[in-house]
Amino acid sequence: MLRKVLPFLLLVPGSCSSSGPEADLQYIKQARSLGAEWALVNEQAAQGRLTQTYVVSMHEWLRDQLQTNAQSLTQPNSPYGAEIRALLAGADNADPAELRSHTDKLKQIEDHLESA
Amino acid sequence: MTPDSPIKLVSELLDLPLFDMEDKYCGIVDDVELEGGAGKPLKLKALLVGPGAYKGRLPGWAMRLVKLVAGDRVVRVPMDKVRSIKSAVHLNCPGRDLGLDKSETAAGKWVPRWGAL
Amino acid sequence: MNPLELTLGIMTAVGGFVDISELVFAAKAGSQFGYALIWVFALSTVGIVVFSEMSGRVAIAAKQPVFNLMRHRLGLKLGLVVLAASIVSNLITCAAELGGVALILNYLTGAPYALMAILMTVVLIVSIWVLPFEWIERVYGLLGLFMIVFAVALVAIHPPWDKIAGGFVPHVPHGLSSKELLTFGYFVVAIVSAVMFPYEVYFYSSGGIEEGWKPKDMLTNRITAILGMGLGSLLAIAILSNSAQLFGPANVDPEIPGSAALQAAIPFGKWGLIIALLGMFFAVAGAAVETCLANAYSIAQFFGWSWGRHKQPWEAPRFTLTWIALFAAALAIVLTGVDVMMLVEFAILFSILVLPFTYLPLLLLAGDKQYMGQYANGRLAKGLGWFYFALITLAAVAALPLFIMTSGGNG
Repeated sequence: MLRKVLPFLLLVPGSCSSSGPEADLQYIKQARSLGAEWALVNEQAAQGRLTQTYVVSMHEWLRDQLQTNAQSLTQPNSPYGAEIRALLAGADNADPAELRSHTDKLKQIEDHLESA
Repeated sequence: MTPDSPIKLVSELLDLPLFDMEDKYCGIVDDVELEGGAGKPLKLKALLVGPGAYKGRLPGWAMRLVKLVAGDRVVRVPMDKVRSIKSAVHLNCPGRDLGLDKSETAAGKWVPRWGAL
Repeated sequence: MNPLELTLGIMTAVGGFVDISELVFAAKAGSQFGYALIWVFALSTVGIVVFSEMSGRVAIAAKQPVFNLMRHRLGLKLGLVVLAASIVSNLITCAAELGGVALILNYLTGAPYALMAILMTVVLIVSIWVLPFEWIERVYGLLGLFMIVFAVALVAIHPPWDKIAGGFVPHVPHGLSSKELLTFGYFVVAIVSAVMFPYEVYFYSSGGIEEGWKPKDMLTNRITAILGMGLGSLLAIAILSNSAQLFGPANVDPEIPGSAALQAAIPFGKWGLIIALLGMFFAVAGAAVETCLANAYSIAQFFGWSWGRHKQPWEAPRFTLTWIALFAAALAIVLTGVDVMMLVEFAILFSILVLPFTYLPLLLLAGDKQYMGQYANGRLAKGLGWFYFALITLAAVAALPLFIMTSGGNG
């Protein structure tokens, strides 16, 4: 029974959005959060609240995750793709406000897609 | 319950733990050996202990998986070695006399005997 | 009842409650839905208390661990299916915990992730080998009490306590879109799964036999389950609430486990961060030990091998080789490079699918007077047991569709 139902279950979301902004929504959300986490880390680091080891590790993991996200996009040349590339192009210790300017734009795109 | 009194095979005997006369845990009743046939009285001849006893009860591919994890040994415990059957089966001899410790002994060669507090 | 033993048992349970899955989902739940999912943590905690107490009672009264009795109750074929499913579920969970520990060590020391995974596997194997059972539990459980820093951090950030209290009342937030509603549903299922992981009852029940619990320990069993897990769940709720207050407004849905430690860094600085990371390290390492041993218990008990860490490792050689092999298998999964968050998602999914098969035999066993005598389930245990069984069955049916439709909770 499960063998008959499972392909249908996998097909349903796939047929709804196999490419385009809808399909990329989960990556937009993740990238928005990763950028926001990055900004929070840098903000706290600037206030001396974090160890240098933790900051370096977090930068590595955040960048790695963002890279994976960027590579998963079905429309990398979209406005949201550009924002993710802008996040990746920045230095590890980028200004939190700069990082948040990109995550705010990603949040706007995300909210627009979710309300559609 | 004694070996002579009525036993509900599936609900009261199969899968029961086995303890020898030294109260050492020796395994689980994995199957039983019956004597007799159609039209004749059936008598419980022996208990079978070990994953090899699953052979008649599992499909071939499942048996191969079990053999990979647990091997396929089976030890025969004659009913005259059984002292009592209650929530566990108690034997009237040491488990090693029946070869119930062979697999554990073989595995023991791979385990160092030091370091634990 | 020895008060010191009881206190140590409760504290061990508190420090050992939060694992990598609860850490991840508590933080995400708070950032995405504010305080709205607190009631799910509370509800699930009552569930794990009910079944843990039941499994401890079964171990004491029937003097046999759950998996022995499960095979007797379910028979060979169905018992093997349950065994296979729980091995897969526990192995993935163990890999998630091991990966989580390696990550946390990376945050603490900067040492490479893969190297830390290998090192931690060796450390965990050595600790189980060397230490007697109760000290295996206590070392990780008591040191996991560093997690209390998350509760202290919550007090320090002056959250809206009225909203936190309101979170304990079962409700679905107003104004959610259909997509958000599905994601909320996924989080409900994921939290139930994370709190009521199958390995918890296997470990708890076998642990009771390891510690030689007798009928006189019935009350100890009950108090440890209620207080230990109840207080432990408050730590998870603190993580959720910190996230609602600190992460949600900052647009952070923690995508990596290390972000949770920021909750203690923000109010307390570097020392808060270090204590949080240490708490996470010991709690998740303890969970890695429990998942591995739970799997080894299940396999050894099912096939009738000698088992238990109350024996020396060479006195139960097949059991010893099994838990070492399971750690090696978990390490192999981690070293494939699969993302820890992905492992957590799969651990949650596999576990919720296995949960009804775990809890039904336990519920039936605990109610069977033939095994339990005077300690069989009373009306309250029976009622709660069947309620939670219905709940986890519903969650198990909904889990896969929700996982697919919400891309694992990512919308």
